[in-house]
Amino acid sequence: MAEEKEKINYGEIGLRAGLEVHQQLATHKLFCSCPSLVRQDEPHFKVVRELRPLAGELGAIDPAAIFERKKKKHYVYEGYNDSTCLVELDEEPPHEINPEALKTALIVAKLLHCEFPDVLQVMRKTVIDGSNTSGFQRTLLIGLNGYLETSFGKVGIQTVVLEEDAARRIAEDSMSVTFRLDRLGIPLIEIATAPDCKSPEQVKEVAEKLGALLRATGKAARGIGTIRQDLNISIKGHPRIELKGVQELPHMTKVVELEVKRQLDAIKHKEKLEPHVRAILPDLSSKYLRPMPGSARLYPETDIPLIFLDKKELEGLELPKMPEEIKKELSELGLSKDLVEQMASSPKLPMFFEFVKTYKNLNPNLIATTILVIPKEVKRKLQLPEFELDENILDRLFIGLSGGDKLVPAIVKEAIPEIAEAIAKEKPKSLEELYKIMARYKVLSDAELKKEIAKLRKEYSGPEEKFLGFAIGKLRGKADPQKIMALLKQN
Amino acid sequence: MAINKFEVGERIVVKIKDKSYEGVVMPSPLKAKDYLIIKLNSGYNLGIKLSPEVRIEKIGMATKPKAQEIKPPINPKLPKISIIATGGTITSKVEYTTGAVEPLINPEELLLATPELLDVVNISQILSPFSIFSEDMTWVEWQKIAELVAKELNKKDISGVLVTHGTDTLHYTSAALSFMLKNLGKPVALVGGQRSSDRGSFDGAQNLICAGHYLKSNLAEVAIVMHATTNDDFCYAIRGTNVRKMHTSRRDTFRPINELPLAKISPSGEFEILNKNYKSRSEGEVLADTKFEPNVALLKYFPGASPDILNFFVEKKYKGIIIEATGLGHVSTNPKQPRNWLGAIKKAIDEGLFIGFVPQCIYGRLDPYVYSTGRILLDAGVTYLGSMLAETALVKLGWVLGHTKKLEEAKSMMLTNIAGELIDKISPNSFLY
Repeated sequence: MAEEKEKINYGEIGLRAGLEVHQQLATHKLFCSCPSLVRQDEPHFKVVRELRPLAGELGAIDPAAIFERKKKKHYVYEGYNDSTCLVELDEEPPHEINPEALKTALIVAKLLHCEFPDVLQVMRKTVIDGSNTSGFQRTLLIGLNGYLETSFGKVGIQTVVLEEDAARRIAEDSMSVTFRLDRLGIPLIEIATAPDCKSPEQVKEVAEKLGALLRATGKAARGIGTIRQDLNISIKGHPRIELKGVQELPHMTKVVELEVKRQLDAIKHKEKLEPHVRAILPDLSSKYLRPMPGSARLYPETDIPLIFLDKKELEGLELPKMPEEIKKELSELGLSKDLVEQMASSPKLPMFFEFVKTYKNLNPNLIATTILVIPKEVKRKLQLPEFELDENILDRLFIGLSGGDKLVPAIVKEAIPEIAEAIAKEKPKSLEELYKIMARYKVLSDAELKKEIAKLRKEYSGPEEKFLGFAIGKLRGKADPQKIMALLKQN
Repeated sequence: MAINKFEVGERIVVKIKDKSYEGVVMPSPLKAKDYLIIKLNSGYNLGIKLSPEVRIEKIGMATKPKAQEIKPPINPKLPKISIIATGGTITSKVEYTTGAVEPLINPEELLLATPELLDVVNISQILSPFSIFSEDMTWVEWQKIAELVAKELNKKDISGVLVTHGTDTLHYTSAALSFMLKNLGKPVALVGGQRSSDRGSFDGAQNLICAGHYLKSNLAEVAIVMHATTNDDFCYAIRGTNVRKMHTSRRDTFRPINELPLAKISPSGEFEILNKNYKSRSEGEVLADTKFEPNVALLKYFPGASPDILNFFVEKKYKGIIIEATGLGHVSTNPKQPRNWLGAIKKAIDEGLFIGFVPQCIYGRLDPYVYSTGRILLDAGVTYLGSMLAETALVKLGWVLGHTKKLEEAKSMMLTNIAGELIDKISPNSFLY
């Protein structure tokens, strides 16, 4: 099937595709202060529970329903005494909503041009597959009716929702399902787009842009499983299909293409067409998973107070720069292409901008190199597991590079690699110890430099035109080569 | 404002400038009086601040679910019980459309949440004398419950009575029933829930089912039947006078104090006696002996506490006070301490008040003979109530003073074991059970 190379005209077949992106946040949990820590070590305890169909759902009292309940599986929840608490165990009411997660969700909704209600209300979404100890997932509508700009046109954003992640499914047998509580309660931002994408390329662009936007908040969790994408796809004559779990962005277009082909085939072979959910397989094709779920029951979470949004605070919300903007800015500062890429995705980016602002006399490239490149080189050379120059040390190095002051010895940029290496080896415990290291590389005063050059002249016996190179090499890290050149010219 | 024109449940469209939302009007919480809360078609609720810019159009009524009529089926092979529903989490439900927590209109709805109970027992009837929160209970409600329980138990075909109740003061009510039900020959189970029945994790169901098994047993005791552990595995039936709510929110909050639970009961019906000190079923009429003196109080002594606290109750003509004393049974008696309680206690007893000490440690027994302070207080006329729980002692004192106003007689009744509240032998394994 994949061999067929006929081009599909997506406009003609009426492709409508939308995305639902779930991004975990790297903050503590949404309704308790437990860390958002997914663990591989042995859990400390296990709790066994049952979940019941809800009151009033059964209608009349039916012996068959009672029988159904009896053969129901029970749920085993594994937890850790130091990173899960009574909230995940459904043994304590939720705490107040994590303000950092809420702020991040508001920022995301604002970046997506959403409308904001005046009052937000946390809801309980009924879930009885065991993945939530309480029998429901707490979820909060943050913003709605926004849009995302793409190169193919605007894509509507239906909702931005903040919710708790479910417990992690570990194992299942005929009697029970085992879940781990570490993931339960991690804040998730869910962005649902309208089915406005009209080509596989547009779907991919939306996924990329949403991913970049979430990462730009600086609060998105990173690593496997921290972002999950679902697709919904339909073409003219075929009902909506939901595709669960697109893992990697580069596969996005392929997944859409294959699903469109599948839908075209289904129409051609006059199969019974029903909306349903499909799971994506490793070869990027998909298989039937389950019928489309009915709309889940949502009702208010009465244990959590209403959240009144302050419109002024919303307006004042500082929005992060988008990656393209940041890269443009870094290029304009004169950073090399390689450094732009590295710095744009580095957690040290805010620090870099601070230093550029403070040390206007220094070349931003020098600042970026000192922050990012030098420590990496030292780490590699000395084969250290970790090495970084912290903010304090960097600040003193930049003072030194700017000519020093009463305390900080003046240095030249050529000395930085050696100073960094000395820092890695000697691990200065105070600023005084740092200054002592820097002092060994102190820049020579003009008088000292003249003296040194005179000394070198006596040692030197080679051709005159090569003396400059010799002197620069000998005085490396102790004097600015430009200065040496100038002095030699004077003579 | 506009909200007044629209009723909860109505379907509306709200327009604010260029924005427009369709949904169903929800009740606005007190704190959000100037806001309109609507439920969107997606199920999410949102609030809109009411202002002249807000335009509201009514487009229809929301459909209301019909109340269900429930007739419990009868299985002739099973014994019959009666249920007395008094309120609390276990008999509340969430109105899913509005989110309001409301008491069940038909107590029979209890069976919708827990139909398995009908596999264990037949329900003769469900009585609902009132529906109140645990913290709103008083002696008047205890008397009412005791009378109803006695009336039901005296029906020949009734095997036992199940009382549903909020958990916060469940152990006060269990103590009250323990003293008020004289000549008890059948089991009485008190049951609550820590999670509401709107959620899949409703814990009350298991408690009700285990209570059903308890009511078929041979134990003619008033007991609280609730989760034994945080797992949904089994319940404990704990004697009504030696049980306490020990955790604000856990399922296994009710713990036995100073003795073992009477029985361990699984929802499937496994029944293990853990404490052989119980009364067996017997014939004969149960009497609701409910006379009660409400002017009794429970005080907790603390370092630096002023004796004025006690003086206040004397002035207010209280008849008796239970004091949670420190350690083995102490309050300050040191004449050098300006806030020592000796004078106030002597004065109270002179005025005819009963002063009884119980351990604020919760676990263990008082002993006035180990330190001189205890001997001084004993000489002053304080009654040491051994290992009796503070809450049980308070309820017992109200009940005793309802029967006699003579101090010496009251003292003697307080020190006579009536419902297992005075324990001779504390088993080593009962601590933190």
